[in-house]
Amino acid sequence: MFIIKSYKHKKDVNDLFKLRDIKTNVNMWSVLSFVVIVLIILPTLNISLKLLNETSENWPHIKEYLLIDYIINTATIVAFGGAFTMIIGTSLAWLITAFKFPMSKFFKWSLLLPLAVPPYVAGFTYHGILNYTGVIQTFLRNNTNINVNQSLFNIMNHKGAIFILTLVLYPYVFAIVRSFLAKQSADLIENSRVLGKSPMATFFKVVLPISRPAIVGGVSLVILEILNEYGLFNYFGISTFSVAIFRTWFGLSDLDSAIRLAAIVMIMVLMILLLEKLMRGRKRYSYTSSKIRPIQPIELKGIKRILATLYCSVIFGFGFLIPTIQLLHWALLTYREILNVKFLGYLYNSLRVTTIATVIIVVISILIANYARIKENILTKIYTRITILGYSIPGAVIAVAVMIFFIDIDNNTYVIRQAISHNSTRLFLSTSLVMLIFAYVIRFLGIGYNSIESGFDKIGKGYFEASRLLGMSVTKTFFKVDLPMIKPAIISGFILVFIDILKELPLTMILRTFNFHTLATKAYQYANDEMIHQAAISSLLIIFISAAMIFVLNMNMSKGGRKNVYKNK
Amino acid sequence: MYIKISNLNFKYKNADKPTILDFTFNISKGEVVSIFGQSGSGKSTILRLLAGLETPKKGTIEIDDKVMVDDNVFVLPEKRGVGMVFQDYALFPHMTVEENIKFGLTKMSKSEKKIRVDEVLNLVGMKEFKSRYPHELSGGQQQRIALARAIAPKPSLLLLDEPFSNLDADLQWKIRQDLKEILEKAGITSIFVTHDKEDSLAIADKVVVLEKGEIIKIGKANQIFKDN
Amino acid sequence: MLRLRKTNSLILLIVVLSVFLVGCTTGNTPANNVGGENSPQGENINSGEVNLFTTRHYDTDQLLFEMFEEETGIKVNVVNAGADELLERIQLEGEDTVADALITADVGRLHTAKERDLLQPVESEILFSNIPDNLRDNDDTWFGLTKRARVIVYSPDRVDPSELSTYEALTEPQWRGRIAMRTSSNIYNISLMASFIEVWGEEKSLQWAEGLKENLARDPQGNDRDQATAVASGVADVAIMNTYYIGGMLNSANEEERNVANSVEIFFPNQETDGTHINVSGIAVTKHAKNKENAIKLMEFLSGEQAQKIFAEANNEFPANPNVQWSSWLLGLGDFKEQNIDLTALGDNHSKSIMIWDRAGFK
Repeated sequence: MFIIKSYKHKKDVNDLFKLRDIKTNVNMWSVLSFVVIVLIILPTLNISLKLLNETSENWPHIKEYLLIDYIINTATIVAFGGAFTMIIGTSLAWLITAFKFPMSKFFKWSLLLPLAVPPYVAGFTYHGILNYTGVIQTFLRNNTNINVNQSLFNIMNHKGAIFILTLVLYPYVFAIVRSFLAKQSADLIENSRVLGKSPMATFFKVVLPISRPAIVGGVSLVILEILNEYGLFNYFGISTFSVAIFRTWFGLSDLDSAIRLAAIVMIMVLMILLLEKLMRGRKRYSYTSSKIRPIQPIELKGIKRILATLYCSVIFGFGFLIPTIQLLHWALLTYREILNVKFLGYLYNSLRVTTIATVIIVVISILIANYARIKENILTKIYTRITILGYSIPGAVIAVAVMIFFIDIDNNTYVIRQAISHNSTRLFLSTSLVMLIFAYVIRFLGIGYNSIESGFDKIGKGYFEASRLLGMSVTKTFFKVDLPMIKPAIISGFILVFIDILKELPLTMILRTFNFHTLATKAYQYANDEMIHQAAISSLLIIFISAAMIFVLNMNMSKGGRKNVYKNK
Repeated sequence: MYIKISNLNFKYKNADKPTILDFTFNISKGEVVSIFGQSGSGKSTILRLLAGLETPKKGTIEIDDKVMVDDNVFVLPEKRGVGMVFQDYALFPHMTVEENIKFGLTKMSKSEKKIRVDEVLNLVGMKEFKSRYPHELSGGQQQRIALARAIAPKPSLLLLDEPFSNLDADLQWKIRQDLKEILEKAGITSIFVTHDKEDSLAIADKVVVLEKGEIIKIGKANQIFKDN
Repeated sequence: MLRLRKTNSLILLIVVLSVFLVGCTTGNTPANNVGGENSPQGENINSGEVNLFTTRHYDTDQLLFEMFEEETGIKVNVVNAGADELLERIQLEGEDTVADALITADVGRLHTAKERDLLQPVESEILFSNIPDNLRDNDDTWFGLTKRARVIVYSPDRVDPSELSTYEALTEPQWRGRIAMRTSSNIYNISLMASFIEVWGEEKSLQWAEGLKENLARDPQGNDRDQATAVASGVADVAIMNTYYIGGMLNSANEEERNVANSVEIFFPNQETDGTHINVSGIAVTKHAKNKENAIKLMEFLSGEQAQKIFAEANNEFPANPNVQWSSWLLGLGDFKEQNIDLTALGDNHSKSIMIWDRAGFK
């Protein structure tokens, strides 16, 4: 039986006589990852250097009259928004995972839908519903002659902003905690029940502690979103940092001070991320046990059934249904005047730039996540940190960083391009959508990366190693083994990024090209021109596309979920 | 000697002590060797070093007179011609049993592949499970498939990581006998790692006892374990 | 194996699609057609286009540009964004800017553009005769297109017009808790303050801001329409806002908004003293315009009587060209005494204005 020939590697061994570490460390994955990371860092670095400039004459003014206000406003909204999204998101996630009640299947995915509503759209919609000319007051006035206390119906203040942000951002917490709980072994929770703990006690004593990393992860996302929100705060007249950055940069024409403010935000963000890391400690999101039995939801009885359905309905109603219906009503009022063939153009523009940017983000995320997984070292740790960088920088600052970067590139490549074609102009990339797409990639890479990294985390390294030992290279292994297995994570990442870009405002406003409108810019423009009814159709299109995406996401997740349960039996 | 391992040293990045210390050991062709040790003794690390999944700090590994790793050379795992059965089997969940086994058969024609798949499935006695998915198999069946998959490309060395740890105790005796038989039939040089001396006694020609990364005994299984 | 192939081909499809889409993206950009100064035939190649940066985005504007194209064969390419973003972009692009003309709704920003050396003077008899002296730059860099007034809107039920006189009078104690205004971040309020700094000086302007803050009915918030609503709903008795928003509300699709607009009155303050604050939206040619001639043609077109009427009525503003027949709503408002200042002050005092609002603690 000694006929076994050694494997085909004779000639490879011969041409391997180089320093082995260079050989093992330089491959397509490492080189591409490096290039991408450098491209991401360069513009940000460029703008960070401005922090070294001396403070401008405006800085003392900002410090004396404004900074405290900015900090208090931002901190208040972040604290309350974070707390409320945490409470709502976590409680809903537990309710949906552990119990059955009327419509619980429907709420399982529809409670994600408020994610489709851009905060500024929710802001002007609620203001439109509640204010003096809105449907509620009009009804009361004309039918019952009740004239309400206006200050009770005023939403344009801190409380209102917290209300709106809670309603449209809690899905981040809900989604992450829900998928975390779905992956938890039922043993833990059932043990608690067997030991005589009530569902309530189980929730507080077992569920909350074990899902802390997921909750903190979700709330961090919420906080980052709040810190970056511009449209809503600007409309409500609340001076948060994002508003202040625009005000100093544009109002006072003081880019340096604006960047200084942005740096303060970034320090806050880094502190939050650090806190999250500390709280997570050594716990991992991924599970290592191969024996996972998912939690079986138990049927609620009596009044609890109704209360559970009611609670979910209220949140779904306020977060999605009510604003959507109001927008539909406004759209009906204005579609004759507004809706024309140009809307197809806006729709196409939105879908086009969003799709391109999302595909690029997903590809880059896969590239870096796979590389970081294969080579676990300091360098790849830094890489993964950098992917999230853009998510913590205010959109306006990314916009200017990217613009400066591209104008530099254009100036430096002008001679070369001239040599190739006489018709080439000095500004080439910086007058194209490449710039906008590049900015989107920097801004939202973190979202896509997180999703795809967690996909890799979930499958672990075992399959990869098995494939390598069966003779497949890293790249072949990736296409044959990793890619099919992380497909659900890729789809989730794609959809989350897509929705975020579709809603995006500051980057699109600043970096778009001639005659270029997206649904988001169009909606904001009308709202900003105080033509709120006219803003309804664009807003609705954003909401519908995102909602359809969320529906697909849910199908994908529940399918993927089922499959994984099988696999791990 | 068919496999020469000399002076191997290895340390995990965040560990403060070396995991493997001056590991030197030779294996002749066709031998079945057991590496025996408690958890944390570094026995799985030896397998990972042989497979090319980890890079040693120093030392050399040669298989069939070809250098796999030394200070200048590092042969990538996919080029080593080493097969491995993982502790949790790592069967690709999105492929059938047949596709799993075919996966490693890259340089063969379609018909050659078919023949080889049938051969190894016969060897492990799992012919009728060809079109099942891994999640439709029991733990013992999964292990056999993992073994068949590792043997299929005719590796020059077969590595088995704790092959019995995930199986029920009452199955173990039978599976040990089966594995011994299969390895004998296949005639492949094999190394398996275990913390159960019964495994070593049942299957291994030679046993290496490892403690804290260092070899403390080498010898025939019945000699090593005769005291207790 | 089939499954693998499917995945692979899906990826391939996505990649191909992306390449295709990016291809379209760069290919469609009008900027690629801007021939550049090195081309000897540059003028001819460019004769078909003018690139306009504008803060206005009314649907009727698009209609006007189409009329312009029909008349001259020159296509108008538009970038819409906030004035500050547009200025920043023109400045960053420097000599290579793709912008030929710039329209802003606030003359202060045009002046800032001029100060930053982003504009160039224009010689055009048509423009000189269409736009009066006080509505254009002394150095002929920018030309006003429309004019608006920032006025006092009041509830006739709770305020007798005889109680109203000046902006300054609103800081008196009888107005405590009765005034509504939007935040000081807004350009209209910044320009309002800038004009006061010019007329009254910084000291008095600061006192005014402080006094106004004392008398507010609620924290500054919302847009100008919200201020009118505040007056109609009884939250406040008077509001400071631009005239044309009342006009816009009168044409609203929502009946309730029309009711609000009908239930308030407009008062032009400071008629006996230094005049009501006005602001101008205007147009200018960028310093490094590649299509200067076309840009001037567009300016001339927009200053003409026919275009002026459409351009101004789109937003219920006063047309800059004195020969244009006013809409009946504007006629109803009547003529009024304007602040007699050099409008460039609105740009010069821009930063000072923001700082005074800040120092007064006016949100």
